[in-house]
Amino acid sequence: MATIALHWSSALVILALLAIGWAMLRLFGAAARFDLYQLHKSLGVLALALFAARMAARAVTKAPPPFPGPAWEMRAARLTHVTLYALTGVAILAGWLTASSAPLPIPTIVFGLFPWPDIAPRDPNVFAVASTAHAWAAYALAALIALHAGAAVKHALWDRDGVMRRMV
Amino acid sequence: MKALFAVPALVAALAATAAVAKSNWVIDPARTHIKFAIDAAGWPRTSGEFRKFDGRITVDFERPERSHVAFSVRSESLDIGSASFEGFVRGPAMLNADAFPTISFESTSVEKTSDKSVRVAGDLTLLGVTKPLAVDIDVTRAGGRLEFTAHAHLNRLDWGFNSGFPIISKDVEIDITSAAKEL
Repeated sequence: MATIALHWSSALVILALLAIGWAMLRLFGAAARFDLYQLHKSLGVLALALFAARMAARAVTKAPPPFPGPAWEMRAARLTHVTLYALTGVAILAGWLTASSAPLPIPTIVFGLFPWPDIAPRDPNVFAVASTAHAWAAYALAALIALHAGAAVKHALWDRDGVMRRMV
Repeated sequence: MKALFAVPALVAALAATAAVAKSNWVIDPARTHIKFAIDAAGWPRTSGEFRKFDGRITVDFERPERSHVAFSVRSESLDIGSASFEGFVRGPAMLNADAFPTISFESTSVEKTSDKSVRVAGDLTLLGVTKPLAVDIDVTRAGGRLEFTAHAHLNRLDWGFNSGFPIISKDVEIDITSAAKEL
């Protein structure tokens, strides 16, 4: 099903973004680091496209009913899912704003194929706020993904209740 | 980039044979490396080299101050280990290689500072702006070659090269090793 494919492709892209985003600030020399920044921006554009597709899918198709379970678990799952969407959106938009406002005018060429527009002028103050928001959204998203994946593993291995089967 | 002077024995030998005072030398590309390094805030030191250049040197071993050096580097031949990074540095925001295809140096004076070194003062043209730059050069004679090692620091702001400052440092380190063959 298309929405399941969207979920897993988004998961892959977001995990790659988190890993590259962490590594590019800490590891590697100047040349490799520059390439990782460009790759991170390209994957960010891909993440935005996938995010938009998922939002569109949510708008036009009805999400499957929540899997029955204890009320606290259903509330927690609902809250986690909404927050995952929100943090993903914030991380992507703050990243786009970060790349746009960065004082060095390094263009975003998506996978080396086509230029991607900026959404703000170059401005060190905007950049400082946007990059901080981007980092915090990314860390919060990583933590929430761990919770989300942990819950999925619990359902698959501990509860063995078929939640995981709906997603594959 | 350099010019010369020579070991006393060599000078004596040349004088003894009443050789022509000046000799012409050309840079050997295979033995030449023009390297640079620059720091930036929150970024590892970026270093690289220029792969295309040419240089000519006229040496007067008896009167080093009459020596002369001219050197020219192709801006687009920048090598920093990443095609996309090079694209940015070559581009209009930085070296603007389309508008300013060469970075060149031409000496205005040469002063012998020791038996193995000279100080070459000259004009460096970068981004179309010409400003004085002095370079200390160690010189040795090896076989039929003259070998040079030079270090220079320049403040790129002096050439109006302001892009990215202060995130990208104003100080550029230049490190040149070269060898010249007599023509």
